[in-house]
Amino acid sequence: MTDRPHLLLVDDERSIREPLAQYLQRNGFRVTAVENAAEARTRLAANAIDLVILDIMMPGEDGLSLCRHIRETGDIPVILLTAKSEETDRIVGLEMGADDYVLKPFSPRELVARIKVIFRRVATGGQRVTAPDGASYAFAGWVLKSQERTLVDKDGVSLPLSTAEYNLMLAFATRPNQVLSRDQLLDITQGREANAFDRAIDNQISRLRKKIEIDPKNPALIKTVWGGGYTLSAEVRKL
Amino acid sequence: MKALLRRFLPHSLAGQIILLVAVALLVAQMISFSMIYRERQRQILTGAAAPAVVRIVDALDRSAAGQDIRSRVTFSTSKPVLRGERRPDIERRAADMLADFQEPALQVIAIADDVPMRANRWRALRERAHGDHDHDRRGRRDKRLTMAVEYQAGKWVSVQSRLDSDPPRFGGWLIAQTIILYVIVLLPLAWIGRRLARPLKDLSGSAQQFAASGSADPVEERGPGDVRELTTAFNAMRARIFAMLDEKDRMLGAIGHDLRTPLASLRVRTESVEDEGERARMSETIEEMNRMLDDILALARAGRSMEPVQKVDLSALADAVVEDFLELGEPVGLIEGERVIGSVRPQLIRRALRNLIENAIKYGDRAHVTVVAEDGRLRIAVRDEGPGIAEDRMEEMMQPFTRMESSRNRETGGAGLGLALVRAIMAEHGGTLRLANRPDGGLEASLILPV
Repeated sequence: MTDRPHLLLVDDERSIREPLAQYLQRNGFRVTAVENAAEARTRLAANAIDLVILDIMMPGEDGLSLCRHIRETGDIPVILLTAKSEETDRIVGLEMGADDYVLKPFSPRELVARIKVIFRRVATGGQRVTAPDGASYAFAGWVLKSQERTLVDKDGVSLPLSTAEYNLMLAFATRPNQVLSRDQLLDITQGREANAFDRAIDNQISRLRKKIEIDPKNPALIKTVWGGGYTLSAEVRKL
Repeated sequence: MKALLRRFLPHSLAGQIILLVAVALLVAQMISFSMIYRERQRQILTGAAAPAVVRIVDALDRSAAGQDIRSRVTFSTSKPVLRGERRPDIERRAADMLADFQEPALQVIAIADDVPMRANRWRALRERAHGDHDHDRRGRRDKRLTMAVEYQAGKWVSVQSRLDSDPPRFGGWLIAQTIILYVIVLLPLAWIGRRLARPLKDLSGSAQQFAASGSADPVEERGPGDVRELTTAFNAMRARIFAMLDEKDRMLGAIGHDLRTPLASLRVRTESVEDEGERARMSETIEEMNRMLDDILALARAGRSMEPVQKVDLSALADAVVEDFLELGEPVGLIEGERVIGSVRPQLIRRALRNLIENAIKYGDRAHVTVVAEDGRLRIAVRDEGPGIAEDRMEEMMQPFTRMESSRNRETGGAGLGLALVRAIMAEHGGTLRLANRPDGGLEASLILPV
């Protein structure tokens, strides 16, 4: 990576592509803007691209197909732009291996913030953010459904989670039996809904414990590791 | 009386037809039975009186002709003294018969008693042939009939004869016959009724399901021809409605996409506006337009949810929604209560609750959320601390594009779709949205769900 990261912006709408390219350039990125998937493939082959911003709905080859191509051929992070708000579209995009998505109309500042989060993760050698790809995770009689942001108990009753609780629970479910420090948890969960996670991690942990522990005072699932952080002490099966 | 009838009459078509036929059959049976009964009674009386009458007539004929009287007949010049049970019915019948024989009697007395009579040979033979010799053991023994007739003033003739015991019961026979008739007529009727009722029930079930949830399976075409035709027509209508709704969804999707693209373009361009305050206001306006678009699309799609119904802990749902508001620093509180579980589409209920809480914050400063199970229903209530709504405007508030003009909050924005959307979501769940001013001030908006 050079000091000016190189972004590839793929959008068939000139009215978005041009001002967005300008905005990103003003914010310190090198931007190559193209209007279709074929051109994007050429640029990907010829240039060292650090991140792709990709519109889903395009004439010809669509964004999802291009996203899958990028994922198959390399490790370049992808952020999807989507105009549809239906949950299923987001999920499909993330199944295709996108790192994040923004809904049109989006705030350009938020887009830049998300780009920076992804670059920070790449720079620190952190794992790719585990996207909620519609999978479910089973542990200790519970099932965490990422599509619906709910926990389902033994009797099949759904317990809806708040955004923060869900992000935290997902972080644990995708990293079972790993010790996660407060900073790590913040980092993992922050990327998604940046402003929705201002309350302290400890507070959210105790809320989660109240929901899933038999005895919240004596937690058996989400354990506190002395001097370290928290860990989910359970076998997790991805469904 | 009407209410009583309504309560006990069957409601279904087949039930009413069966009841009608059953009642008609019963009435016809009773008429025919009463006719048969009268005829039979006459026959029995004739049978009882005949032997005595014949012998008396024979004796009178012979005495008039000066011949020997072979029958055991007694003549007397005074009214014979007789003990036993008088049988006026036999007396009347005997008088009629004597009149028929041209021997009108002045007076007829018939007395029955329990003194056994020796059966004559024919009778004994018949009883043996019918295996009928154990009368005594069954307590149905024959009786003796004594008949005295005053054939001229002061002249009496009397004779004794056997009297059959009461004939076998007639009622049992009637009941058996009626049952057989019912089986023959009502069973096929019930079968036809079922053939008729089942497809009709499927049809109304499907129509109800469609009304309630906006989706329904096609109905199997079966039953009699005209019912089958109705089903075919219904299925065709259903397919047409579905095609129209699909078309609407596609159109809305396209509109949504086509409007969001220029909005996105506008949003990106606002970043090049120098004045920070202006820039913020512009992006706020774009945000608002986007929210309206969201609401319009959601309302237009109401009743066509893809989300499955599932058992959901509604207390946890309310808690999660409230928590999301608290994360944003909004003045919302949850009043904790017992655990309430309902069968709902959780994302839709989340949205409905979010809308109510947003309204409460906008117009009523603070939102207090409670979840209770009461009167066989589940209620998620959002109370605020605002001025409430005038009673006569409440219905209007739930209509799309109606906004509340509050003196303090003029710049509240929104397309006025919030409550309309909540109401549509409730309708999809078979529930209701209830608005009520609280006696101690503020508005209470409740999502009321069936259990």
